[in-house]
Amino acid sequence: MELYLQFGHGMMGLSKELVREWGGGSVILSPRDLNDEQLQRQANNINQLSGGRVLLDPQFYLPRADHFRLVAHSFWPADYSTGGFFGGPALWKLVSDLKTLNDSLNTSFAILPGLLAPRISDDWLATQDAILEASRNADFGRPLCQTIALSADACRAEDQVAMLLEHTESMKADAYYLVCEHPKGTYLVDDPSWLANLLDMVAGLRLSGGKVIIGYCNHQMLIGAVAKANAIASGTWLNVRSFPPSKFNNQDEEKRKATWYYAPHALSEYKVVFLDIARRVGVLDLLRPLDGAEPSATALFAGGQPSTIDLSEPDSFRHYLTSLKKQVEGSLQATFDATVSAHQSLLDTAESILTTVREQRISGQLRDFSDALPANRAALAAILATRGPILRREWNTL
Amino acid sequence: MQNQNTISWINKSFPDLTTVQTLGQGGQKLVFSARHPADGDVVLKLIHPSQDAEGVRREILAVQQIVTVRVPRILGVGRIATPIGSCIWIREQRIIGATLRERLESGHLSIKELLTFGTHVLEALADAEKANIVHRDVKPENVMVDRTGDYWLLDFGISRHLTMTPITPSAHAFGKFTAGYAPPEQFRNVQREIDARADLFAFGVTFYECATGRQPYQDGAANPLEVLRRVENDTVPRLSLNCGASDSLADLISALTQRRRDHRPATVQQAQLWFRDILNANQPGSISPGV
Repeated sequence: MELYLQFGHGMMGLSKELVREWGGGSVILSPRDLNDEQLQRQANNINQLSGGRVLLDPQFYLPRADHFRLVAHSFWPADYSTGGFFGGPALWKLVSDLKTLNDSLNTSFAILPGLLAPRISDDWLATQDAILEASRNADFGRPLCQTIALSADACRAEDQVAMLLEHTESMKADAYYLVCEHPKGTYLVDDPSWLANLLDMVAGLRLSGGKVIIGYCNHQMLIGAVAKANAIASGTWLNVRSFPPSKFNNQDEEKRKATWYYAPHALSEYKVVFLDIARRVGVLDLLRPLDGAEPSATALFAGGQPSTIDLSEPDSFRHYLTSLKKQVEGSLQATFDATVSAHQSLLDTAESILTTVREQRISGQLRDFSDALPANRAALAAILATRGPILRREWNTL
Repeated sequence: MQNQNTISWINKSFPDLTTVQTLGQGGQKLVFSARHPADGDVVLKLIHPSQDAEGVRREILAVQQIVTVRVPRILGVGRIATPIGSCIWIREQRIIGATLRERLESGHLSIKELLTFGTHVLEALADAEKANIVHRDVKPENVMVDRTGDYWLLDFGISRHLTMTPITPSAHAFGKFTAGYAPPEQFRNVQREIDARADLFAFGVTFYECATGRQPYQDGAANPLEVLRRVENDTVPRLSLNCGASDSLADLISALTQRRRDHRPATVQQAQLWFRDILNANQPGSISPGV
């Protein structure tokens, strides 16, 4: 499993730096955050780095979205009518324009436009088919990656997920870009059905022969390794670490400024001032970074009061993404069972740390993983029971 | 007396058959054993159209479909013909032996028997799959074990050819099925969702029953509706066998008996390959001292 960089606010320079330092990597570009010229420049910058690759997320989730930068792009349809769009020249124009843009950006995969499904219905599936068919006809000259964008309710419904997977057997893409809205808009998901279904989709799509990129992820999606996801994509702010469809409408840009430190062993994030208390009560070391972490993160644990260290927002993002990359790289093991064990171990370690630090009233607030632990464990149990035997058998062929 | 008259009628109508004897009677069918000069032991089924027109149509369609499957582990159909008088007849190869149900009355199968059963029935289902036929009623009553210990799949009475019009009308409340062996998509009678994976489910349940002597859905159920509820909600317990291949076989049976068909192997061929890999990975001595 790889970590892709999900472009968002604050990612312009950081993505270049990280791809350079990592010796390669994929960046999913965001038309919402970059105008035409910036898209091109960013793509050029990444592509010229060794191992650098770009993809373009067309972000056509809500065709009536009104985010000023998004709708200003040349590929965005000036007019959208539900009835005729997917059966006529408007779809062809959208697909053709995206092909031109993908050519220009020299993308490694072509992520196809896909509507956000409030529920998975025959109509929505027909739309998916129409987009895939039109894209095949447009001859992108690169693998086609179908967007599967689901509302929280759709992702929670097992029968709808089963319907999607059944349908995909007869209409296969080369790859899938899976984007699922979090239930109740939370950052970390405590709903086991949502998570179990998402894993089930990843496994089903992988077993059908496609690659799977899970978009808009945070570290909770390290669990994607047990379904052998090819990549998870994450970024800087919360609105690229989970999928809030509302971000594609005009609204205030991210203005809440707080610096968070990601404690990778605890799978939780803390405001730096809470690290002060952790130090005072003697549990700071439990929240230490991984070996070889960013100097700015390591400095928090050098012995002084953590809040006296200037952990800037860019430092915080960089620390998060470099830590997550290491965790992603360690998540996939040689066998299915070893991968499950590795994730269980990750959860066990986090639980042990969280129990200790919470006893001291140190909390990651909404970024504290405690409530997400049962969901991850239940999702693991579900995939073991349903897909386990086949994944165990097919692991090395995926 | 009626049978004697029928046998006399058979002797006159089918002069090439000898030693005609009554085997049984079920539904609209009378079944006889006989000897054919070319085909050896045969079964002759006489079907009376006036008794159940839909049943006869189904039977004839089924036989026409399965006639296309010429494989070792499915009973060969020698002839099917237009009615003689008011009677439709079918002549099939006859296996001398017992049904698997009868065999299970004396206890569950040994590991050696179990592996032979799995090999032979998966062969039959794989060949049916190649011919686009779903059996739809795999269960111990529809498997014969002959005197040499070989297994045969029989009774394609509710089978379906996937490229032909369904024999069972979609409007039928539940379709045709045996509760406890049919997967959910079959007893919901979602025609478009019934494919070879329905047979894999039934095979998996049958395999479990053969290995343990317990029918995981039927045993202890108060009525057929409870059986269906169990199939919808419960999973077959993990198989545990006293042999080297126990975990591998448990995985396979678990995969075959998944409630959702997209969680099962995609084809019988895949399941057969999986089963063969288990056999190949476990040399006879390590599977069981008896194999």
